[in-house]
Amino acid sequence: MSFESLQDLYLGAGPALAPLLWLTGGLLAVLIAEITPGLTRLRAAVVPAALLGAAWSAGQLIAEPSGLVLGGTFMGDSQTGAFALIFLGAALLAWGQARHYYRQEEPFLGEHDALLITAPIGMILMAGAQDLIVFFIGLELLSIPLYCLAAFRRTRDDSVEAGLRYFILGAFGVTLFLMGAGLAYAATGTLNIEGLGEAHAALTTPLGGIGVALILASLLFKAGVAPFHLWVPDVYQGSPTPVTTLMATGTKAAAFAFLLRLAPILPNELGLPLGIIGVATLALGNLGALVQKDLKRLLAWSGIAHAGLLLLVISAAVSAAGTSQQAEILNAATSALLLYLLAYAFAAGGALGLIAWMEADGEDHTQLNRWQGLGSVRPGVAAGMTLFLLSLGGIPATGGFLGKWLAFSAAVRADMLPLAVLGALTSVIALGYSLRVIITMWMKPRPETWATPTMNRPLAAFLAGFCAAMVLALGLIPGFVLGPLF
Amino acid sequence: MPLLTLIVFTPLIGAILVALAPVREVRVLRGVSFGFTLLTALLGFLVWQDFDPNQAALQLTESRPWFELPGALAVNFTLGIDGISILLVSLTAFLMPLVLLSASKSITTRIREFLVWLLIMEAGMLGVFLATDIFLFYVFWEVSLVPLYFMLGIWGGERRLYATLKFFLFTLAGSLVMLVGVIALVYLSGTLDIAALTQWAGTQTLEVQGWLFAAFALAFAIKVPLLPFHTWLPDAHTEAPTAGSVILAGVLLKMGTYGLLRFGIAMFPLAALEASTLFMILGALGIVYGAFLAMAQTDVKRLIACSSVSHLGFVVLGMFALTGAGLRGSVLQMVNHGLSTGLLFLLIGMIYERRHSRELADYGGIAKVMPLFALFFVFSVLSSVGLPGLNGFVGEWLILLGAFEASPVLTAVSVTGVIFGAVYLLRATRLMLFGEISHTENKTLSDLTPRELGVLTPICLLCLVIGVMPGPFIQRTEASLAVIEQRLDAARDQQAARVELDLPDDQEAESAR
Repeated sequence: MSFESLQDLYLGAGPALAPLLWLTGGLLAVLIAEITPGLTRLRAAVVPAALLGAAWSAGQLIAEPSGLVLGGTFMGDSQTGAFALIFLGAALLAWGQARHYYRQEEPFLGEHDALLITAPIGMILMAGAQDLIVFFIGLELLSIPLYCLAAFRRTRDDSVEAGLRYFILGAFGVTLFLMGAGLAYAATGTLNIEGLGEAHAALTTPLGGIGVALILASLLFKAGVAPFHLWVPDVYQGSPTPVTTLMATGTKAAAFAFLLRLAPILPNELGLPLGIIGVATLALGNLGALVQKDLKRLLAWSGIAHAGLLLLVISAAVSAAGTSQQAEILNAATSALLLYLLAYAFAAGGALGLIAWMEADGEDHTQLNRWQGLGSVRPGVAAGMTLFLLSLGGIPATGGFLGKWLAFSAAVRADMLPLAVLGALTSVIALGYSLRVIITMWMKPRPETWATPTMNRPLAAFLAGFCAAMVLALGLIPGFVLGPLF
Repeated sequence: MPLLTLIVFTPLIGAILVALAPVREVRVLRGVSFGFTLLTALLGFLVWQDFDPNQAALQLTESRPWFELPGALAVNFTLGIDGISILLVSLTAFLMPLVLLSASKSITTRIREFLVWLLIMEAGMLGVFLATDIFLFYVFWEVSLVPLYFMLGIWGGERRLYATLKFFLFTLAGSLVMLVGVIALVYLSGTLDIAALTQWAGTQTLEVQGWLFAAFALAFAIKVPLLPFHTWLPDAHTEAPTAGSVILAGVLLKMGTYGLLRFGIAMFPLAALEASTLFMILGALGIVYGAFLAMAQTDVKRLIACSSVSHLGFVVLGMFALTGAGLRGSVLQMVNHGLSTGLLFLLIGMIYERRHSRELADYGGIAKVMPLFALFFVFSVLSSVGLPGLNGFVGEWLILLGAFEASPVLTAVSVTGVIFGAVYLLRATRLMLFGEISHTENKTLSDLTPRELGVLTPICLLCLVIGVMPGPFIQRTEASLAVIEQRLDAARDQQAARVELDLPDDQEAESAR
């Protein structure tokens, strides 16, 4: 490739790639600081600076979208920018939670931060990808750091097991994607999403159809949708809690961001099956969460349920593809997805943050029964958890409700009323387990012999407070919060 | 002055203040909360004064843009009041200070939380009755659910956790079906404004109206509760602290009947006509079945709870008779039930504080040691069974009158409920108050304190006022109910025309326009 053609390739790509550049710069700075004696302390400033810088340039991207760049393989539009903000917020939350998390093991924290800052690079690439190869690079950039991070507490069996499990199943998922992309290429002769959309007829041949199915399967795997959800509870439970935060909020969002890109080109007969899978996942996740005794596991199952509802939104967009309503419903689905994921990120991230905070007083604080009667000794923490759970359950005045409202609206618009009704009914189950946690915290007495959790971590308190404020703000003054985003 | 916004936000501000106040002194917290509920009651009185009885449309309306999201409609924060809601708003504002006062001895743990939940609940309930944007309505609807859940679960009786879960899951299941109904309605009509939705819905075919009506009616029927969804109510009532029971009976259940009227009958008249027989049957069944349940109870609080099922059956019966008298009677009876059942729960709470028992068998003859208590108890019982001259009579009379026009048979069945009501309530009165004092503990019970008298007297006075001159109360509902009647008449004509011509559905929609 000649210099001129390289120049052409990158022409005007600066603003679109700026978030990625911030993160890459941060990554290099972390690595250099780590090997230079005396500079290691800088790391604490470099990571948030890089994440915030990337968030700022993502904000710029929303204000002034730069369109297709890199020869039509990456879309630098406001949608990418908005998703990038979710990823970066998730990474910031995870980083903040990790600051005090690994006190006993003191593992390689430099590597930890380097891996943590790499994952959002992959996520942003996935959200903006207009080409299956670019998406694949993003997927790997996201997955490989997470495999390592999941196993980061090397002295604990369950953490190592989580890493291994995630790695093996993740590799399987990636393979599915590559197979699918290969078959799709064989059927259509292109890897470009627009090209795939134009070659619509070829996608419905057996060859192209299997390709599309395999690509979808790998995406559903990453998102944790049934029947590819079995890894989620074990990995969420075994991973260090900050990593769980990143996985629950970031990875899921990235998978759905790309599903949203794919939605308009998928055959719209797929809409109904996807919607049915979504509602089935919703029911399954909620039922699974009902019997959990471990809070992280409970949140994992609830995460599966949320993925199901998000798939229902995607299915609405898919089923409208090619109809006169396409633009309108895609628009509705996009804002539903963004708002839902944002509210979910703050609620689930906040809840996991509280768990990470409690774990400082003993590993067994991921167990629900250790939270018994917490309301009487740490009302703030219990109130925060209550708010996050109510938001996850979609009770009004929280961001979760608005997400649910928009999600069901999108489904109803796409004439999926029966599925919306089923989804609404299965949401009742979700309140069942939220209430179990609330009952444990507030309505059962605290055994007198139990010590009061110390909870002296200003950063953790700040993060939890910030998440709680955002959950409330998204529910009460969404225009104020989201105005700049759309 | 934005009166309605003020009345919704005053308790909310109180809640925030009480939650964050750096004071540990319980008396101060109680005082502040009481002050805020009193202020709300004052605002409620101003609303009552400013309300123009001759205007059928919403009045004192306020509208502010709230938020707008791409792919969804702009949501406005709009409040308004009309003849359907005026009585309930005033009732809520009137009852809350008294409820708070009544709880000052019975609630001894985690008082700050209790006060906060109580104030949030007041804001939520007022919001439900005042919201004129359907999104806002739904938000308030569910927000008013959460505080009672905590009140039940933290301050409730022995089986509180079971009752709490049951209450929450029952009502939430209904709410979520309603949510889908709301979304479908909004999507089909393209507006969130309840008045505009009502206009739109009236022009729709029976099929559209029927489905939407079903989604709404289910949620409201659970909340009322109507047979066969009533099983959560006795449990919730029995386990709830007194304040919770009073609010539940006084106001929260009325959210169900209010919803049935505003979103069921007023919005979907064609569907309401079709469903009228079904709801009247369910109402009549509720009356009789609730009365039988009440007769079998040995726990006096549970007895009152079952009597609630019976009394609310009357409200539904009158409402779905879809006649002028029936509608008026049911709107008035909502308030009456709130007052007289609220009184009974307050009295049970007061005796429970002294004796720590709700079993009828543990009492007997206490009229001798507690004459004032006996006086108030007998008064409340008489008001509840509908003695002429007290509030209950007016409502029940109008309801039965209205129901008779629609269905003499069901009315005949329902009238037995009045008799059964007298049977179980008077039996309970006899067992508790009269006869010999069979338990020595009862000999030393102290009579009502001035504070308790202060709680009970205003409610009793209001019962008396409504009983003697119901005019000002019915008059305020008159204009709005007349509009509903007109809509029903139009729907009846449409129904008749359809039967005559046997039009297919799409043509019918044309002719409706």
